[in-house]
Amino acid sequence: MLGPAILVLIAVVIPALVAGVLSRLLRTSLLLTLPIAVSVLLVNVFFFPGGRTELLRIGPIVATAEGLGFAIEILARILAISGAITLFYLVTRPAELVLDLERRGVSPQLGFVANASVQTVPAMVERAGAITAAQRARGLDTEGSVWRRARGIVPIVGPVILGSIAEVEERTMALEARGFTRPGRRTLLWAPDDSGLQRLARWFLLLALPVLAAARATGWLS
Amino acid sequence: MVDLAVEGLSHVYGREVRALQGVDLRIASGERVALVGQNGSGKTTLVRHLNGLLRPSSGRVLVDGVDAARLTVAQMARRVGLVFQDPDQQIFAASVRSEVEFGPRNLGLRGGSLRQAVDEALDAVGLGTEARTNPYDLGSARRKLLALASVLAMRTPVLVLDEPTTGQDLRGVERVRSVIESASSAGRTVIAISHDMRFVAESFARVVVMHAGRIVLDGPPESVFAAPAWDRLRATYLEPPLAALIGESLGLGSTPTDEALIYAISSS
Amino acid sequence: MTLTLEKVSYRYAGAATPSLRDIDIALRDGEVLGLVGASESGKTTLCLVASGLAPRTVGGRLTGRVLLDGKDIEAARIHELAGRIGIAFQNPATQRSGVTETVFEEVAFGPMNLGQPLDEILERTSSALRALRIEELAPRDPGQLSGGQQQLVAIAGLLAMAPSHLVLDEPTAQLDPAGTTLVGDAIAQLALDGTSILLVEHKTDLLARVCSRVIALEAGRVAMEGAAPDVLSDPRLGQLGVAEPALVRLRRMAEGAGLDPARLERAEASV
Repeated sequence: MLGPAILVLIAVVIPALVAGVLSRLLRTSLLLTLPIAVSVLLVNVFFFPGGRTELLRIGPIVATAEGLGFAIEILARILAISGAITLFYLVTRPAELVLDLERRGVSPQLGFVANASVQTVPAMVERAGAITAAQRARGLDTEGSVWRRARGIVPIVGPVILGSIAEVEERTMALEARGFTRPGRRTLLWAPDDSGLQRLARWFLLLALPVLAAARATGWLS
Repeated sequence: MVDLAVEGLSHVYGREVRALQGVDLRIASGERVALVGQNGSGKTTLVRHLNGLLRPSSGRVLVDGVDAARLTVAQMARRVGLVFQDPDQQIFAASVRSEVEFGPRNLGLRGGSLRQAVDEALDAVGLGTEARTNPYDLGSARRKLLALASVLAMRTPVLVLDEPTTGQDLRGVERVRSVIESASSAGRTVIAISHDMRFVAESFARVVVMHAGRIVLDGPPESVFAAPAWDRLRATYLEPPLAALIGESLGLGSTPTDEALIYAISSS
Repeated sequence: MTLTLEKVSYRYAGAATPSLRDIDIALRDGEVLGLVGASESGKTTLCLVASGLAPRTVGGRLTGRVLLDGKDIEAARIHELAGRIGIAFQNPATQRSGVTETVFEEVAFGPMNLGQPLDEILERTSSALRALRIEELAPRDPGQLSGGQQQLVAIAGLLAMAPSHLVLDEPTAQLDPAGTTLVGDAIAQLALDGTSILLVEHKTDLLARVCSRVIALEAGRVAMEGAAPDVLSDPRLGQLGVAEPALVRLRRMAEGAGLDPARLERAEASV
């Protein structure tokens, strides 16, 4: 029953080891799944319907082995998913990903938006901080009652939005002045390495998908 | 009348960035002080301590003898008005008038006295005829003057200006100058951060030079821009005004302003 | 190649009055042309028109002609002009693409967009870095540089596209004295190298140093035009809302006090 989960774990853990990010991977995915893990464990260990083999008794509540087994199965799946996502995040540099997509035909403007979006949030947060400071210097009370603080929303959100719009205008002009809107592909300075082995691995994974799905559906893998 | 004092003030951003290292400074009520230095020297950090936006990592800030740590920023705003460098970081109202009303309204002004404070501030910066204009219909230089008016209207005993003349044309600079003059004659303390050494020499009685989180020079323009201080000044990548350089070269002693130089030449 | 504005008037969309009226100016090969005027006198609009961003990106109506090497650029799209006229603004942060990790990539951004061959891009990027003397900044993160350094990177990014003209709209406005000196020196060097530059600045001392000619705008019209030393010492500058260079002011005050200005000039030359 743990078969598929273990399979994926192997597909995640071994690459992580090779990439040298195993400890970070384990830490991050364990941290991510901790809240769910706790509730899944508690609910299933103690309240699994059809649980018979008693492990522990706390008053009227019984921990069953079947429940534990079920919980572990679920957790393994969750870990597999979170592990895979974390692995992707840990070994991929966004710039490389975007460049590779561009090399394969995605429009450079789209790639730009993907890259630039990452930068927007911290920039906006910083801006909101600067604006809050300016308004507090004019007596805006951010330390008083909730009602008073609510009144401070417009003087803070207003300049954030207006300023962002003004900034976008300037940025657009600067980008256009550097040929950003030229249709077609642009020359790339570099692109991530690709090797025959990687291509092979990608095809293998792609083909494994329908095979595994079929195996699961026919009950051969449970 | 508000005296300001900063004692052993240190400020660290995060865990490592030492923006201020044990700064001691006293500014008496009514003084006109220019704060100069490169970006990163600590000037902005220092002035943000004066109105409570930043709190010391160590040392203390005293406003009229009261430890600023005991006051909220809103309370400090009553005593120390700070005009930021970028007007677009504060403008949110649909009209010039509403924008200027924001500050004094927060301090409790209403009705006739509010209107008067706003009118005076708008006249002082030359925006009297633009009360109903949308701030974004003004050019960026006049928006800066708008930001200045919005703090002027708060009538704080201390006025702190962050780079008031940057981006201003001749008339804008003259406006700023006259605002400083009138504020000063009304007994208000004026502190300005500036990169314009000539403006500093002409409008301020005291110049505080900062570098790497410390004060390296503090005195009237006659001493700060005089030849004996040039090495220290240049070590902070600042140049004395041309009048000072020429005055020294002609052997006329310290002539930090154009007027002083011409006077010295005439009398020699 | 000369960049010419012929009887150019420009009105922003929805504006009541035109921002430029009947402008006739020419920026010749290898010339550094200074542009001064009060706030809102049309300097930035002139820069936008000269670079083609107005009316293409900014919207609005242009009457008259803008000619590059005698040919009307009206039909040219903005990306076609990008490689020929480079424009830089005063805010270092908004000119960064925000998607590059090194200064080298940042400077190469323009040529990359223009689809030039790789070896040409590498060559142009290197020479742009050399022209601005910022080769050692090549591996650094553009977001971690000082304001002055960022402006140099922005200008290098324009140079890498090998434009025939550079339009710089108050490049030192937001910089501290060290940054202003850095950028001022770089512009002086570019001028020596024969780059054609249209330079807008309030800092007339800088213009006195690098410009061969200066134009003064008033309410969207050309109010004064001529050799830099003449325009910058013209007593009408004050009325136009322009601050005189420091030496010019001292000379005027000396004359007003009945003193010989020559002594001042000799002293200034020696400092």
